[in-house]
This record gives sequence, C-alpha cells and structure tokens, in this order.
Amino acid sequence: MRNKVLAALLLLLFAVSSPAQYQLAVPGYQYQFPRDYFNHPDYRTEWWYYTGNLTSADGHKFGYELTFFREAVSRSQGNNTDWDIQDLYLAHLALSDVSGGHFYHTERFNRSGPGLAGASQPLEKVWNGNWEVQWVNGEQHLEAVAADFALHFVMSSHKPPVVHGKNGVSQKSAGLGHASHYISFTRLLTTGSIDLNGKTHRVEGTSWMDHEFFSHRIDEDQSGWDWLSLQLDDNTELMLYRLRHRDGSVDPFSSGTYVDAKGKSTFLSSTDFTMQAGAETYTSPSTHGVYPIAWRVAIPSLGMDLQIRTALRSQEMAIAGIASLSYWEGAITISGTRSGAASNGVGYLEMTGYARPVDSDRRK
Amino acid sequence: MSRLRLFYRLILRPLHREPLRTFLVVLAVALGVAVVLALELAGDAAAGSFRSSIETLTGDADLEVTAIGGVPDEVIGKLATLPYSITVRPRIEDYAVVKATGQTVPLVGLDLIAEHPENLNLDRQNSAKADEIADTANQGVWISQRLGAKAGDKIRLQINDQTNEYLVRGVLKDSGDSGGLVLMDIATAQRALHRLGRVDRVLLKVPSTPSLEEWEQRLRAVLPAGVELRREGSQTDENRRMLSAFRWNLRILSYVALVVGAFLIFNTISVSVVRRRPEIGIVRALGASRSDVLTAFLGEAACFGFIGGLLGILSGRLLASGAVGLLGATVDNLYVSSRPAPIELTPGTILFGLAIGVGMSLASAASPAREASLVAPIEAMARGEREYAARVHKVRDLWIAVVLAVFGAAASLAPAIAGKPFFGYASALLMIAACAFAIPALVSGLTAVSSQLLRRIAGVEAFLASRSLAASLRRTSVLVGALATAIAMTTSVGIMVGSFRQTVQVWMDNQLTADLFLRPAGDPAVDRHPTIDPSLADKIALLPGVAGVDRFRGYEISYQGLPASLGSADTVGAHDLEKIQFLSGRRTSVVNAELRSGANAVVSEPFANKHHVRAGDVITLPLGAAQVPFRVVDIFYDYGSEKGFIVVDRSIMLRYVPDPAPSNLAVYVATGSSVDQVRAEVEKIASGHNLMIFTNRNLRTEAIRIFDRTFAITYALEVVAVTVAIIGIAGALLALVIDRRRELGLLRFLGAAVSQIRKLILVEAGLIGLLANLAGLALGIVLSLLLIFVINKQSFGWTIQFHWPIAVLLSALTLVYVATVLAGFYPARVAARLDPIEVVHEE
Repeated sequence: MRNKVLAALLLLLFAVSSPAQYQLAVPGYQYQFPRDYFNHPDYRTEWWYYTGNLTSADGHKFGYELTFFREAVSRSQGNNTDWDIQDLYLAHLALSDVSGGHFYHTERFNRSGPGLAGASQPLEKVWNGNWEVQWVNGEQHLEAVAADFALHFVMSSHKPPVVHGKNGVSQKSAGLGHASHYISFTRLLTTGSIDLNGKTHRVEGTSWMDHEFFSHRIDEDQSGWDWLSLQLDDNTELMLYRLRHRDGSVDPFSSGTYVDAKGKSTFLSSTDFTMQAGAETYTSPSTHGVYPIAWRVAIPSLGMDLQIRTALRSQEMAIAGIASLSYWEGAITISGTRSGAASNGVGYLEMTGYARPVDSDRRK
Repeated sequence: MSRLRLFYRLILRPLHREPLRTFLVVLAVALGVAVVLALELAGDAAAGSFRSSIETLTGDADLEVTAIGGVPDEVIGKLATLPYSITVRPRIEDYAVVKATGQTVPLVGLDLIAEHPENLNLDRQNSAKADEIADTANQGVWISQRLGAKAGDKIRLQINDQTNEYLVRGVLKDSGDSGGLVLMDIATAQRALHRLGRVDRVLLKVPSTPSLEEWEQRLRAVLPAGVELRREGSQTDENRRMLSAFRWNLRILSYVALVVGAFLIFNTISVSVVRRRPEIGIVRALGASRSDVLTAFLGEAACFGFIGGLLGILSGRLLASGAVGLLGATVDNLYVSSRPAPIELTPGTILFGLAIGVGMSLASAASPAREASLVAPIEAMARGEREYAARVHKVRDLWIAVVLAVFGAAASLAPAIAGKPFFGYASALLMIAACAFAIPALVSGLTAVSSQLLRRIAGVEAFLASRSLAASLRRTSVLVGALATAIAMTTSVGIMVGSFRQTVQVWMDNQLTADLFLRPAGDPAVDRHPTIDPSLADKIALLPGVAGVDRFRGYEISYQGLPASLGSADTVGAHDLEKIQFLSGRRTSVVNAELRSGANAVVSEPFANKHHVRAGDVITLPLGAAQVPFRVVDIFYDYGSEKGFIVVDRSIMLRYVPDPAPSNLAVYVATGSSVDQVRAEVEKIASGHNLMIFTNRNLRTEAIRIFDRTFAITYALEVVAVTVAIIGIAGALLALVIDRRRELGLLRFLGAAVSQIRKLILVEAGLIGLLANLAGLALGIVLSLLLIFVINKQSFGWTIQFHWPIAVLLSALTLVYVATVLAGFYPARVAARLDPIEVVHEE
C-alpha cells in the first residue's frame, strides 16, 4: 500500500497523463504466475517493494528496503529511439544498520533506455541500473550496490504469493477502479551478505515483497497513510494499512490481510482492527516531519494485541529538496500477545504524509 | 660615497636631463615585454585551457568511454548494470546554429531523467520534468541564459543540414564563461542528429578505491573491443599536447621582439657609459669602487627594465585583448573549437613580466656596465678625451659570426625533441647572434665603399654621415643589429607564410577538381563534421549534367594520445577526376584501387610525420565493435589540418560504422554542361536542407580567407616587432645627436647651414636603415629557411615549397626604410636647433 509515495513523487515531476488510456484495477482479475511477478504496462503505476529484517551470526541487526517503481509516462508510438520515455523508473534503496544506529538511503531515476531499468518476464528480472532482483529457479536473487553499502541476498518464499483485498482488488476509495491489484510474498527466507564500510556481514532473516499495479491515484481528502508488515514468530503474517483523512479521521477503506501458518489469507476490513499511534515520536531534522514511531495494533477477531517499536528512530527516506515526498520506512520489532500467549516478531512500518500532506490527483 | 648618491649623480641626473630619450628606451622595453606577455596571456585565454567548448556539464567524471562513430547504446545498459558503484552518464555532443543570431553553440544531449539536477545547472524547482522530456510532439531544449530566450519561447536551430523549431523548456544558470549552450534530452538529441542507437561519449565516475588504473582494467574487460576507455579530460590533454608546438612557436616569435628590445638597452647603456666617462673617472677618483660603478649602471638598466616592465604589463594586458581574438581564430581553424576564457592577469604573470623586463635589461647592460667599471680614475683628468671610440674587434667578431653560423647550420640538421624543434630554435638564435657579430664588419666595409660614392651623389653631408657611422662603429652596429633583427623576423615570417600560402594555393589547384562542393551551413571548424542527409547525394547524382558525386565523411578520433581526423571517401565513380598528390607520386586511381580492395588507408603528411608512419605500416583503429588493422598504402599532401588525416574507403568504413550520412559532397559537372545550371538544380534539390554550396572558385577563396585568418596573429606580431625597432632607432638617433653636440656645433660654427646639419642626420638615419635592411634581409632569408624546413616541418609536419613573396617583402622593406628615415626627423630637428655659439662656449 505504497501507491501514494509514488503518486506524490511523480506529481511533482510531471503533469499526469490521462488515466483513460490505462487499464483500471477492477474486480475479477485472474492472477497468473510467474506472469504477474513482472511488468504490467497496461497499468499506469506499478511497484515491487522488498523489505526485510536480517541478523548476522554475531548478532548484528539490519533492516533493508529496495523498491522499484514504474510509472507510465507515454504510450505513443513513433520514430523511436532506445531512449524514448514510455515509463519512468524510480528506485529507493535503504539500509538500516539497527545495531550500528545508522540509516543509509539513496534513490535513482531512469527510463528503460537501452536496458537501464525494467521488469521483464523473459529476463525474469526486475531492475533499475545495478539494483536488481533476478529470479533463478524459483528463488529471488537481490543485488544492490550503493556508494556506502551493497546487498547480496538469495530469497526463497516459504509461502505462495498472497493476493490482497477482495475479488482480486485492494480497494482504496469508493468507485470502480479506485483500487489496485496487490500481491505479496509475506515470508521470504533470506540469506546472503551485506557489505558495509569495507566489512562483509553474512546475514539471514526474513524479507517481505509487495507488488502492486493500478491506474488510479489517491483521493483528495486522503492525506497519508500508515502501513505495516508484520512477521510473527508463529509463522503467521499480517499486512495492515490505515488511510488518514485531512481532518485526522481514519478512512473506512483502510484494510489488511492475515496470513496463517499454512499460507491461507484472510481479508481484514477497517472494522476488524485498530492501529493506534503511541506517544513516542521522531522529528526529522531534514524535513521536520513528526513521525509516531510506536504503535499498538489490536485485532480482536484473532485475539491479537501487539506493541510495535523500532530500535532505530532515524529511518526516514528523505527525498532531497522535496520534503513532502519524504516518508519514514523502517525495521520494527513486535511484542505482544495472541490469545493470551506471547507473540513476538519483526516487520516494517511505513508512514507517509507527515512531513506535509501528500498531493493527490486533482490537486496538482 | 654612498651608492645611492653615486646612483643619483651618475644615472638619475643624466636621465632626468634627457627625458625623451629615457622615455624611448623605456618604451622599447615596455613593448618587448608587452608582446611576450600579451601572447602568453592571449595564448592562455584562447587556447590555454585547450578545452573544447563541448566540455560543459561534464561534472566530476573520472573516465570516459568513446568510440569512432559513437558508442552503441547497449554499452550504456551494460555499464549501468555492472555491480559497481559507478555513475554512468551518456552524452550526445555536437553543435547547433542558432538561426536568429547565426551563432554556433555546443549542443549536448544528456539523459535528463537520470542526470542529477545539480549536474545540469538547473534548480531542482526548474528541473526538467519527465513529461516535458518525454514530449516528442514538442522537441524541448534547455538553453543557457546567454541565448536570450526564455521558457516557453520557440527557438530555431540548425542541426546538421536541418533547421527545426524547438521549444525552450527551461533556462540554465550561466556558469560564467560559457559561451552559450543548447541542452536536450538524449532521445531528442539522437533524433535531431539522426544518431539513433549511438551516443558520443559516456562519462563515468568511479569510487576512489581501488585505484583508477584498477577501475580502468575492470571496465575495459566488459567493453567491446572497438570502444575506448580513457581518463576524462584526455581530450583536453590531447589538445594541450597538440597545441603545445604551436604555442612554442608563437612564444619564440614573441621573444624575438624582446631581443630587439635587448639590443636597444645595450645601445642605451653603452652610450651612457661613453658619455659619462668623465663623471665615472671623477667618482672613481673620489673613492668609488669598481663594483659601485658597476652597480650604478646595472641599476640604471634595472630601472629601465622595471619601469618598462610595468608599462609592458599594462600594455601587454591591453594587447592581449586584441590578440586573443586573432589567436582564437588560429586555434579554431587549426585545432579545436574552443571558446576563449577570460584573460587573467595573475600575480604570477605580473612577476613574469617584471622578471623578463629587468632580466633582459640587466643581461644586455652587463657588458657596457662592466666596461664602465673598468674606467680608470686617471681618465677623468684627461681633458679633451670626450669622445670614446669603443674598441671594436671587427675581424675577431666576424670569425665569431662564422663559428656561430656553422653551429647554427649544424643545429638545423638535428631532429625534433618530443615533437618540438628545440634545435631549430637554437639554430635560429645562433643565426641571429651570428648576424649581430657580423654587422660591424658589414658596416665598416660598406661605409668604406660607400663614402666616396655618397660624396659624389649626395654631397659632403652624406660623406660626413657615412664617415661618422664608421667612426662610431660600435654604436652603429648595435643600431643596425636591432633593426636588422626586427627586419629579419618580419622577412622570415613573411617568406614562410607567403610560401605556405602559395603552397596551399598550388595544392588546391591540383586537388580541387570538382565543380561544386556542399557542406552543412555554419562556421566551418576542423573538429566538427556536421552531416548531410544521405539521400541527397543520390538525388544529385541523378541530375542531368552531373558526372558524379563524391561523398566524404569526417570523424574526430584520438590516435596514440593525439587528436586526429578520420575520413571515409568514395573511391569509385567521379573520384578519378580528383588528383590527390601522394608522396609516392602514384596516380590517384591506383591508390584508390588499393583502398577499395580491403582494410587499407592513406594518411596525410602531417599525420605521417607526427606518428612516424610510413607507407606499408599498419595502424590499428577502434571501429564499431572491433580493433581494425589498416595498412597504410600511401601518404598524401594535405594542408587542411595540422592534426592529420587518415582516409579509408567509404564502403570499408560503412562495414564498421554503419552511418551513411556524409559530411561533404563534391559534385562533378559533365563536360559540356553548365556549372551554373547544375548549381541551380542542386540548389532546388537541396532546398529544405541548410547547405552551403561552393563553386570551385568560391571554395578556394574561402580556403585562402581562412588561411589568412589563421595567420593574422603572425602579421600582428611582425608589426609590433618593427614598431619596437623603429622606436629604438628614433631613440638611438636622438642619443646620437645629443652625443655629438660638440661636433655638430663645431660644424655649424665652421659654417655648416642648418639644412646641411639636418641632411647629415637624415642621411645617417637612411644609411642605418639601408644597412639594417641588407643585414635583415640576409638574416631573414636564412631564418625563413629554418622556419620552413626545420621549425615548421618538425612542429607541424607540413612540406612547404619555398616561395618568394616579392610584393610583401618589397612593401615591408620599403615601409621599414621610410619609417627609419622618418624616425630621423626629430633628432635632425634637434640637431639643427643647436646654438653653435653656446656649444663652442661650452668648450
């Protein structure tokens, strides 16, 4: 549920092409894999979102985020060069050195160009420059090189992909097509290494992958959202998002998904759960955004009461020069109870619209 | 006696008494310094950075990837996905003509999506937006402020042979010295230039560890063979290397002006020593030591040098403003499209100016000052010994001259060192020195012969003038030497440039046999090869009255660390009409057949000389994806480009670089058809393309015009050198008059008329001019031979046929002669105004 990040980012970059020429996410979509792991050029916006919590043998904790965005710019055909812009590819890469108390992040923009970026089923690859996820025999190989660090992971999914929402769509607001097609790998067993400051850390842990594609943008009265991916020790996962209105209220289209240990998923509507921000906040020195970094999640139907905390406060993806596009995305730890028994885990938290309300389609 | 008082008494007082003379000496030093400094400053500004004007928005790249004909797009994809933290920035580089102003400006195409806005001189707020970049209906451009348009305006740009309208999407912040820039997205640029699938350069920024060498190795390993990886700025280094010979030659030329100044200082100090002999005697008798006297006279020279140096720095700065344009034209025509940087007068340059001013003065005053220090106190008592006949060992000097000349001749046979003719320069200096030593013999010999003759022709005044010159042989020799050096410089450069011009003309007459020549409109430049729509050549070939069309395509390449041009030319069809002159003397058709038959090439003479390539050698060129070995089958004469040409057959070239667009067309009109008619037809077909069509005659005129523009700086230098010499002559004659007050006064007392005195001085001036012309012409011819066959050949590799530019020589010599006589007018007036009674009374 990160469409707003991208929507906002792109709005600042260009006037949006008419959504009419793109396919809307409507109920009844038939998912097909591996086709749906890759590109959907008929939809305007698409992304692949990898996050994870990893630990080295000596106990050093890391979190990471690697995101590939695709935004359609033009579908006109003509006297084409390799460089004609059909889509704009953005990517965000972040490393949270949780034990070291440091957050590294970087971004890049590309067009598909002569193989600069893309998501290709024939190549079984999603990439932006030298940040890539390559499928090899059902495993996903993540490679990303930045100035300060590099990630080398192999990920194998413990569970089949989860389709969020109802009838193949994750509805974001009222209206046909105000929705996305949204799938996740909720438990990717991850091994590999992290190069940081000249040192290589052998790590293992779990990752989470979100893949969404759609053509409709955020509604005017929605000001931002809070999103959670939770991987609990009992081999279950939760995805929850809360859409916020400008007046501070919570949008009824907020929703979530519960994935049980066998991989079976259950839709959670906004009435099925509560997400409450705690008192602890983090104030960004660069964007002055004030982020609540402690949360309480309650899902009565599952008997869950969970406390969300982070060991690293400064996990803001600050977009240089554009405060309103910045967001907080970071590794979190979970402690709480499920039906009276202790329930712990790790996950990722995303919070947007705190630095400034995110712009919407009609307000550009 | 304190040194300061001594200095005042011996030096300052006399100087103060003769302000005009002092002024002239200072002026001569100032001009010498000014010329050297002006050329240094202008050279730095016009060519010092040696950066091509295309080197803009390059950021802080470490390495660059280039390929002849362009780097294939796939290479960029490959580089961008390597598992290294490197920045990959592809660029399209060319030039566009702004139609509104006719200005040619760099055109740069960048990946505006991936580029960091800070690299683009764009604010993030105004940064290029993706939909503007992607908009193919309106071709967007971002332009520098200097071009005067604002966002939203339309701007008409000629790119290659096409003019189109572009939409100004934004204005770049001007970065100070940029002379205008058009920025496009890479897609727009590829389309505008018909360069689909290729970029001109890829800039790379690599991490600081491991070493750059290590990075070069790693990256080279993944690049195709025809693609070159080198340090960013290599082009600049190559330009610098290429231009260094040119700058050395200019520098040496400017030092000749300094030599002229040195002669004059030498003369002035010598005269002072002579005139102040009694005072020297007195101060010595009063206890001043030899070194005191030496210091005083050196001090005088240092003063001249210092004040002249200061004035020289100021006027050098002024002259530089003028020279930078001339130099810029030369650099543009011969080397690289550059953009003059602002002229910078740094503390270093100021010190340099003062150092050469003072240094030159001290060096030239050393010998007369030493002589002054040798004056014995007793001489002061010997009244009546007021004129001092400097001892001149003219026979010994003549021998020295012969030895110097022999050494000079020997030096001229030595080869170049690192592409620079240092022995050639040494030879020229030795020849100048030889001439200086030979002059006393020349003066005494010629005056001895001429005095009786002059007496008969021009009367007793002329006889007296001649004898007086011979009597003060040393002073006369110095004057003649100064003027002769200036004349020699003028003559030699005149002969060299004239010979070159004539050679080029003859070469063009032989070479340019086509009737019409076409190239894209815009200022021509040696390092730009804008292209013509490839279909045009075929259309023209089908016109009635056209016997054939030859296509030529030029590329700028780097060969063994130096810039060079690579051309592909038609070797079938009308080409046989073209008579290219080969060193082997073989017929064009024979060589063409060899070119067609495989990976063969011909190279131009400058290329062959620069890279020591001979017929039969193999040169390897990175083309397309491969390193292609070409056998050099012959070497052709060429005067169009100093960096040198490699020419291969068009069909062979197309195999490696599949870009069919030619940069030049030569059209042959069938015998019996009218050139005008064909031209009109060609113009009709070419309408819609921005082309320039030259007839054979137009092209030659144009070529000569460019030639003259290229050598304008040398003409300017000559004018300055001669001006320095003439000022020197005026000063020296004035000194002569002042020195000979007694003699001239006596002549008047004895009944000489005012007009006779005036005539006497004018004849002396005329004689000096004549002697200087004779010596200067002789030296000039020797120097011109050195310039043509040693210095030029070793610096640039051109074979120039020696040719007498009679008209230029005659007019230059006449001018100098007239100027010398005119320089005698003021001293003549001073002499004529002497009051005989007063003068004799002083006795």
